Amino acid sequence: MIRKIIHIDMDAFYASVEQRDNPELRGKPIAVGGSERGVVAAASYEARKFGVRSAMPSKTALRKCPQLIFVKPHFENYRAVSYQIREIFLEYTPLVEPLSLDEAYLDVTENLKGMSSATEIAREIKARIKEKTQLNASAGVSYNKFLAKLASDYKKPDGLFVIKPNQGEAFVESLPVNLFHGVGRVTAEKMNKMGIFNGADLKEKDEAFLKKHFGKIGGYYYNIARAIDNRIVNPERSRKSVGSENTFFRDLETRAELESGLEPIIRDVWKYCAKTHIYGRTITLKVKFLDFHTITRSKSALSPIMDKDFFERISFELLEQIYPLPKGVRLLGISLSNLESTDDMIGKQLTLAF
Amino acid sequence: MKFVVSSSVLLKQLSAVNGVIANNPIMPILENFLFQLDQNQLTVTASDSQTVMITTLEVESNESGAIAVPARLLLDTLRGLPEQPITFKVDSETFGTEIISENGRYKLSGENSIDFPKVPQVAKSLSVQLPADVLASAIGNTIFAVSNDDLRPAMTGVYVQLSAEYTNFVATDGHRLIRYRRSDVKSDYESTMIIPRKALNLLKSSLPSDDTTVTADFSQSNAFFSFNNIRMICRLIDERFPDYENAIPQNNPNVMTINRMELLSSLRRISIYSNKTTHQIRLKLSTNELIISAEDLDYSNEANERLICDYEGEEMEIGFNAKFLVEMLGNLSARMISLEMSVPNRAGLIIPSEKEESEDILMLVMPVMLNSYA
Repeated sequence: MIRKIIHIDMDAFYASVEQRDNPELRGKPIAVGGSERGVVAAASYEARKFGVRSAMPSKTALRKCPQLIFVKPHFENYRAVSYQIREIFLEYTPLVEPLSLDEAYLDVTENLKGMSSATEIAREIKARIKEKTQLNASAGVSYNKFLAKLASDYKKPDGLFVIKPNQGEAFVESLPVNLFHGVGRVTAEKMNKMGIFNGADLKEKDEAFLKKHFGKIGGYYYNIARAIDNRIVNPERSRKSVGSENTFFRDLETRAELESGLEPIIRDVWKYCAKTHIYGRTITLKVKFLDFHTITRSKSALSPIMDKDFFERISFELLEQIYPLPKGVRLLGISLSNLESTDDMIGKQLTLAF
Repeated sequence: MKFVVSSSVLLKQLSAVNGVIANNPIMPILENFLFQLDQNQLTVTASDSQTVMITTLEVESNESGAIAVPARLLLDTLRGLPEQPITFKVDSETFGTEIISENGRYKLSGENSIDFPKVPQVAKSLSVQLPADVLASAIGNTIFAVSNDDLRPAMTGVYVQLSAEYTNFVATDGHRLIRYRRSDVKSDYESTMIIPRKALNLLKSSLPSDDTTVTADFSQSNAFFSFNNIRMICRLIDERFPDYENAIPQNNPNVMTINRMELLSSLRRISIYSNKTTHQIRLKLSTNELIISAEDLDYSNEANERLICDYEGEEMEIGFNAKFLVEMLGNLSARMISLEMSVPNRAGLIIPSEKEESEDILMLVMPVMLNSYA
C-alpha cells in the first residue's frame, strides 16, 4: 500500500522563536549562539540572505554579515514550542517520529480525523501551528520519509510541497546529490569525482558498485536514487547516544585548562544518566582544534557504565590520548552510546568495567 | 634402535606429559609421542603446538635414534600390562615399532621423527625460581576465574606481574577477578606476561606437592618451566591484559565479616532455590545480621536464612550469582572472611581475615542487578 508521510520542519526555528518573543529583533539578521566563539545554532532568514548558515563558526558569520545580532539561546522556550507542535501532530496520528525539537515525520496513511488527503492534513497542521505559536513551518508530503523531507525543504519558508507517487523518481533524478539527505559534503565531493552529480547519475550505478565505494550506506543510496525508502515512521525511535559539548571562549592549551574544561561536560552527561536511569557502554571524547580539525577517541566497557568515578576516569584517560597537544583546543565533548536503561537490567549479571 | 624399560616407569612418565596431546590435532603427527634415545637417556615429547611437555627417563640401551609413536595405542597397551621389563625395537626404515613383553609382541606403526615440530629453544630473558607448592597454589587460586571467552583472548590466561617486591597472579572472566599476590616470589626485573589456561592446568597436575624448586624462564613469546625431570614450554598470550587495578573499587565503607564455612554452607543450601540460569541470590545486610534469600519464580521455590555476622555500614541489599560466591569462598582456607561493598551495582571484595605468610588474596565479584539504582 502506498503510504502518506508528512515531514514538518519549523522555519529557522530558534531564530524565529527569538524574533517572536522580542519584537526588536523582527526583520533583522539574527543568529542564535555565542558571538565570540562557538557556532551559529540558527540564523534568521534575514541573516541567511548574507550567507549565514547554521553550524557556521560565529566569526565567519560576523564577517559575512557585520550587522548580525547574536542572541543567547533559550532552550526552555524552544522545548515549550516543540511540545505544543507535537500536541498538534498527535491529534492527527499517533505515528509521530520527532527528529529534533523542530522536525518530525508523521505517517497519516491512517489518521485520527479520517481525512483522505495528506496535503489537506499538512495544510491544517501548518495553520494550527501558526495559530498556536505564531511561527511558520514548512511541510513536505510524499509516500516515503526521504521524499517527504526533500519536499519540506523544497519550498521553504512557509512552504507546502507534495511529491506524488508518479513524480518521485523524476524528482530525485534531477536533484543534485549534495541535496540528498544522508549525503554530506565529503560524500558529495567523492560522488562528483566519480561523475555522479545528480540522482540520474546515481541511478546508473549498480548496488555492488555503491556498496564497494561507500560501504553499507551504498545500499541506501541505491534505493533513494530510485526514490525507494521503506523506513517506517517510528514513534519510539530511541535515543542512540547522549552527550554534551562546549566551545570554549578561549582556546585551551594546557593540561589543567583541558581538564577543568572537561569536568563540567562530564558532570552534565552524568546528570542526564542519573536522571533517566539510562547508561552507556561506550564513552567518546570529541576534540575540535583551533583549525576545526576534529578527532574522537572512544572506549567501550563490557556493560553499561554506572559508576560515576569510572566514567570520569575513562573520560580523562581518553583526554590523555590527545597529548602531546598538537594545537589549541576550541571544543571538547563527551558522549555515551550503546545505551541501556537500568530498568531493563534487573536480574542481569554485571560485568567489570574494562 | 632398541631399548629396554620398565613398563610401569614408562607409563608413569608418559602419563605425566600425555595431557598436552589434543583430541583431534590439526597436525596428525601430534597424536604421537616423540621418543629420542641417546644411550640410556630416553626423552619423551608431547605437544599441541602451543604447549610442549618433555620428560626424560633412564632406559637400558647403548644406541641412539628417534621415532614418533602413537600415544593412545601405546598408553592403552602399557596400562594393560603388569609391571615388567619391555623391549622397544624400532625399524628406522619403515618406522615400525615393536614392543616385546614377557609373553607377547605388539606392533605399532610409528612415524618419522623429523615430522614432529621443533621445540622452541630457551631464549632466556628472565628467570625466576619458586617452590612447586607455591606455584601450585598460585594456579589453584586463580585458574577457576580465567575466562573461556575467546573473543577476549587476554582474559583466557593468568596474568603474571613480576616485580622486586612481589609477584601478582591475576585472573578474570569479566564477572570476577582474583589477584593472588606472593611476596616470596620476586624478580629483579619487572615483567608481565599472560600464561594460557591449558598450560597452567597441565602444570598444576604435574607439579609435585612439595617445595621442589621450579625454574621458570620467560622469553618474549614463550615460558619455560622445569622441575625434576619434566620441562614444559608454552606460548604466551600476546595480548594486553585489561587494566584491572582500576576495576578494584577503593572506597568500600560497607564491610561484613563472617565465618567462611557458615556463609558457604548457607549459600549452598539457598542456591538450590535460586533461578537455575542466573543463580541469583540476595544478601540483605543490617547491623550484625545477614539474610540470604533466593527465589525461582518459574517454580515458586524460595528460601531464606538468617546468619549472624559482624556488619559495619549502611543497610543494603545486593544480589550475586551464588555459583561465583561458592566457588570463590570454597577456594579460600581462612576461617573468617570479609565482604567489602560500596553500592549494589559495584563490585564486592572478598578478603580473607587471616593471612598466610607471604600470601595476599583479593577476590572481586560483580553483583547481579536487583532493582534500578541511580
